[in-house]
Amino acid sequence: MDLQSGPHGDYGRFEQILSQFLLKSLHIVLDSRVPSIRPRGGRGRLLSGAQSKKNDKWFSLALGDRPSALGNLNFWHRNLMEPMVIDIILVQEMQSDQDMYVSSGLGTVVETLIERWVVQCESGSPMGFHGDSSASHKKTYKKLIILLRSLYSTMRLLPAHRAFRKLCLSSKGCDFDIIYKVSSFSAPFSRTEEEVMKQYVFIPVDAPQGRLSISVTYRESLSDFNLETSASFPPQIITDYVGSPATDPLRAFPSTDKGFCVTSVPSRGMQSSSSIPFQRPHSWTGGLHRGAPLGRNLPLGGSPPAYPSSLGQYEAASPPTDNYRFQNYRQPNHHKATSFDDYQLSPPFSASPSPSPSPSPPTYLSSGNPVQNRTRGESSPVSIPHPMLGRSPRYLSPNLSDPNRNSLPPLSPRSLKHDPSYQDSPSGIRSWRRSDLTRTGDPSSGIINYYSGQKGSRDSKDDSGRFSALLSSSGSPRVGLSRSSSRFSFQDDLDDSDFSCPFIVDDVDTPEMQARQNVDGNRASELTSQTFGVGRKSQDAAVGALVHMLRTAPPLRQDSSCYSSRSLNPGLEGDAGTASGFFLPRKTSDALEELRVYKDVKDLLLSKSGARFVSKEDTTG
Amino acid sequence: MVAMGFDAGRRLVVGAWGGVGLEGDWTTAGWGEGVEVAGGILHTILFHRALGLVRPKDIDLELFEITYVQCGDTELEKKIDEKIEQFIDRVEKHPNKKNQVCLSFYEVKNKQPSWFTNKVERLHWEQWNINLNVAQHPKTHSGKSHHSKVLVDPGDSALEERSIRRAALETSLREVLFQIIKFVNEKKDHVPSIPNLEGVSFPYEITISSSSDSAFGMDMFKRMLQTGHPTMLS
Repeated sequence: MDLQSGPHGDYGRFEQILSQFLLKSLHIVLDSRVPSIRPRGGRGRLLSGAQSKKNDKWFSLALGDRPSALGNLNFWHRNLMEPMVIDIILVQEMQSDQDMYVSSGLGTVVETLIERWVVQCESGSPMGFHGDSSASHKKTYKKLIILLRSLYSTMRLLPAHRAFRKLCLSSKGCDFDIIYKVSSFSAPFSRTEEEVMKQYVFIPVDAPQGRLSISVTYRESLSDFNLETSASFPPQIITDYVGSPATDPLRAFPSTDKGFCVTSVPSRGMQSSSSIPFQRPHSWTGGLHRGAPLGRNLPLGGSPPAYPSSLGQYEAASPPTDNYRFQNYRQPNHHKATSFDDYQLSPPFSASPSPSPSPSPPTYLSSGNPVQNRTRGESSPVSIPHPMLGRSPRYLSPNLSDPNRNSLPPLSPRSLKHDPSYQDSPSGIRSWRRSDLTRTGDPSSGIINYYSGQKGSRDSKDDSGRFSALLSSSGSPRVGLSRSSSRFSFQDDLDDSDFSCPFIVDDVDTPEMQARQNVDGNRASELTSQTFGVGRKSQDAAVGALVHMLRTAPPLRQDSSCYSSRSLNPGLEGDAGTASGFFLPRKTSDALEELRVYKDVKDLLLSKSGARFVSKEDTTG
Repeated sequence: MVAMGFDAGRRLVVGAWGGVGLEGDWTTAGWGEGVEVAGGILHTILFHRALGLVRPKDIDLELFEITYVQCGDTELEKKIDEKIEQFIDRVEKHPNKKNQVCLSFYEVKNKQPSWFTNKVERLHWEQWNINLNVAQHPKTHSGKSHHSKVLVDPGDSALEERSIRRAALETSLREVLFQIIKFVNEKKDHVPSIPNLEGVSFPYEITISSSSDSAFGMDMFKRMLQTGHPTMLS
């Protein structure tokens, strides 16, 4: 690695660091907020794999391919000392009538600035040779690595991250969109905006050539926007995962006063493809909200990405024709090709004497790649927790004929140990954690959890009561429901196909949890009696499961009426007239099987009640 | 600065060697929360101190609406998970004691072999001390937990209280993560040069200690002595 001596060499190096820093920041911000920016399926790949790897190595943060939009920004023509202002804008179409679907001209597109990121280098002392400049560059570079990590983490902690996640996770039918604008100046906020915005300033990095800083002004709360996946596009349920299509759509957020303000052109004529902004293509086609920007910008021809077109208004210095010259990605005025290549090949200030390390592919890159592609901006698959962990029954549809729910509750007592709180089982936690380990390492197999993330439901669930929805890494909008191994290890034994509807099981478990917290026997018996068909939906579900199980059990006789009576009082089956035939020797195995089933049911009821009672079955069996 | 959890007790410890220690008392309501809190904090710290090439991975907590970032290093994840399991074991066995997870980064200095020792000296340059207490359920550990107990009333009030508690804990956890981000940026000068490694660039160790209050300071003192620094924490 050469060491350019002299002020010009130093500043050239600093300039390179600065420009890469700006690019990386922009990449992080856009990648974390604008789902459409990501290259999909090879489309929109800005650079070859080798160049992409070089870009990844900058600041030791591998983000994958840079979106072509970054190249379209004509980055290198800008003055590096000007601030880079990235506006993240929430776009919603307000319905003017009852019609849920967007038709041309009926809705009003509302744009609201939700975040403004400002990345800049405030020039410090004039460029001069500052002693051991190589060391100072190394130090600056190291600090910038940490700063960019902080930027990356902070983006996940800010409120807008949830909106981004919802946008990512919905296969289609989101009623909002997120777009961005990059400029070199920041329009002042209105008074209303100032009141609802907060500012966060990262600790700047001081370099001899200037101070590099990142700051963000963001909306504290996005609850006013009623962000919701559209109810007209319920998540598709894969039957081979779930088995039962009977699932209620998400409960919508409670509507609140929509006090947001519009910060950009409030309404624009929607193009004929007005419905497109509210669909989410999985291949990068240059942005989602195409109709709106095109309405006020001349298209560049062909199928221009919307954002570069809109950027033409802000980046006056960037001629539109440069937008698609991806080769312009390198600095045009770069005279030090050798050192540039060195930088491109390796972190500039590695301790290793060799300029270009030959890294063996790290395990996380090779094996984890599918996971990373999916998790960046999305999340690693989050297991659907065990239904015992509680979930709001609001959006649970009781499918009383579900044959598979009975497989789960009998195993719940294993988790209970001596702690009535279901989540307070350490060993259970460990099994959950272990399953998490295997889960996170598992490339997408199409298993997708449904993400609710609703505050309302959160209030009533005790533990990990979230479903996460993910797109599979193949990009297909398949959404399935599955249960990963929860902290209850018995889940590993269950076949997914046996588990048809997690929501139903949650219903069953809700009174269970209450019973666990009440070891009062009276309540237990009350619960037991409630199991037999009276009261809340969860008991009904349990009864339904029981009935269905009994109905589908291998019959001793082809007589369903005998089963229904047995379901209520197994001990009295001998009194049911023709019951004597149940105990014929040639049907003993069937009877034993049936007895086992009854015992399972008994265990189920006992687990709910938390008390033991003597069953007649034991005496009559 | 905001304390996380329900016991407010936090102090910033600045070591004489330029490292930063963050001490805080966190009390969670359950094991699940404890696991997630510990994991989130540890991974966040490591994400800002593993300065080799990483491919970041977002992790959504299940119990909290918080997303944190991991380094995408499977070995690191395994190690942290193991440590968290050990921590849970320790808390189970010693519910009355102060349990601490300590994450420290060090440099390896090859000590000159002498007659007495061939040990390689570790020069700790940053240390994070996380006091994490998991509140036991009063039904099983009534009267033994010296931190805030979970008052369980029959009925829905327990659930409601738990959800309120969890919301508070979530807010605190988010604030702590912000604090960590702020600290890792405030104190950067002491971070050694980054070796040409991928992922975790600096050696680190995670230790779990469980001591009574009186002996707790001694553990830290011993640890400092082992690093070879003569000065003590102020």
